[in-house]
Amino acid sequence: MDNSKTKISVTNLKKNFGKLEVLKDISIDISEGEVVVLLGPSGSGKSTFLRCLNQLETVTGGTIMVDGNDVTDKHADLNKIRENIGMVFQHFNLFPHMTVLKNITLAPVELKKMSKEEARKKGMELLDRVGLADKADIFPNQLSGGQKQRVAIARALAMNPDIMLFDEPTSALDPEMVGEVLEVMKELAREGMTMAVVTHEIGFAREVAHRIIFMDGGYIVEQGTPEEILKNPKEERTINFLNKVL
Amino acid sequence: MISIIQVYGVMLLESMGNTLVLCVLSLLVAMVIGLIIALFNVGKNRILNLIGTIFVDAVRGVPLIVLAYFVYFGVPQAVKMMGITGFRLSALSAGIVALSMNCGAYMAEIIRAGIESVDKGQMEASRSLGLSYGKSMRLVVIPQAIRTMIPSIINQFIITLKDTSILSVIGFPELVNTGKNVAGNTFMNLQVWAIVGIMYMVVIVTLSKVAKRVERRLKRGQQ
Repeated sequence: MDNSKTKISVTNLKKNFGKLEVLKDISIDISEGEVVVLLGPSGSGKSTFLRCLNQLETVTGGTIMVDGNDVTDKHADLNKIRENIGMVFQHFNLFPHMTVLKNITLAPVELKKMSKEEARKKGMELLDRVGLADKADIFPNQLSGGQKQRVAIARALAMNPDIMLFDEPTSALDPEMVGEVLEVMKELAREGMTMAVVTHEIGFAREVAHRIIFMDGGYIVEQGTPEEILKNPKEERTINFLNKVL
Repeated sequence: MISIIQVYGVMLLESMGNTLVLCVLSLLVAMVIGLIIALFNVGKNRILNLIGTIFVDAVRGVPLIVLAYFVYFGVPQAVKMMGITGFRLSALSAGIVALSMNCGAYMAEIIRAGIESVDKGQMEASRSLGLSYGKSMRLVVIPQAIRTMIPSIINQFIITLKDTSILSVIGFPELVNTGKNVAGNTFMNLQVWAIVGIMYMVVIVTLSKVAKRVERRLKRGQQ
């Protein structure tokens, strides 16, 4: 992965919520097509870090370059930048007043990226891809959790992003539905999508991640390939964490 | 009682019409004021927050009757003091201004609460797709907020309809004002105020029945 193009470059990122320092000093590069899994105890700043990447959180210090644009710049066109960064949330956040298909076509149509007809076609393709083509015209509250999350992934993909952020995508799901969501994510990874995933699914990390980043207390404690981190963790805190979750 | 209806029935119905015109116009303006002030208050801009808060506190902190006097008598005087002559405010215009400001302040709070009742994740999901704040509000947040706001808005409509009676003090020929005149002419207070009361009640009960229907339909649409 070292010689491929850098997609996201984070330098000395700091984030405070009032007096609470959530991210203390984070620097990291993510390459094009790389799948990065963020592990760490709750409160370690993983989700906040992810949310800084598409500026759902403003940063306190440091810079974040995405495709060469500084997203922390006050004059950055965030809407334009976000079109290129899909995000999937723990609680799906589907729009309950719209049909499944409308959820997916809303952004491409409103942002004039596609005509209604094109968006519809693309939406149906995406639904087909996540195995839910038959659900296009129903409302989200008639879907199971796993189905909702798959729709949410399809919605994020509708803008043709080249980066996808996943914020604990399976944490709110019943155990039997975790697999179907991870399957979709694995396929995305295989297709070469640049992905940053906050998750507690160690199996997914082992199988799919190119790199695991272990965070604790607002710092990156340790990073490396799944092999290195999961089999031979060096830092005390990583070892403790893995002992608890494995 | 029959004789009152025979003699003054048309007059009372006309003033009921005036009441409704005043009420409906004020409500329309109040909706606009309410939406704007609510958006001021839910946004992150401190100056707009402050303007919104001052407006809501000021209007809610003053009885409608004082507001009505202030607009009807006070404002023309202020205009005159600024050296502009010939400015006059009809009782209807003054009534609409006072009532829509009053109702607008309450409406702003209802709309703000409605917007805030929508899960934050909705705005975040919409913004993460690249939609602007305005589009996210208009397409994602407000449509969901409206469902929760409908019962309170209808309730506010009814309060405003009743509040039109306060504007009898600035001489607008709405129902109470006319009732006062009729009672003064006939000395039949019991009958006149019973008729006026029933007239209000018929309109308001009808309105709240319609409201219940709308509410039920909205709920069904959500499923």
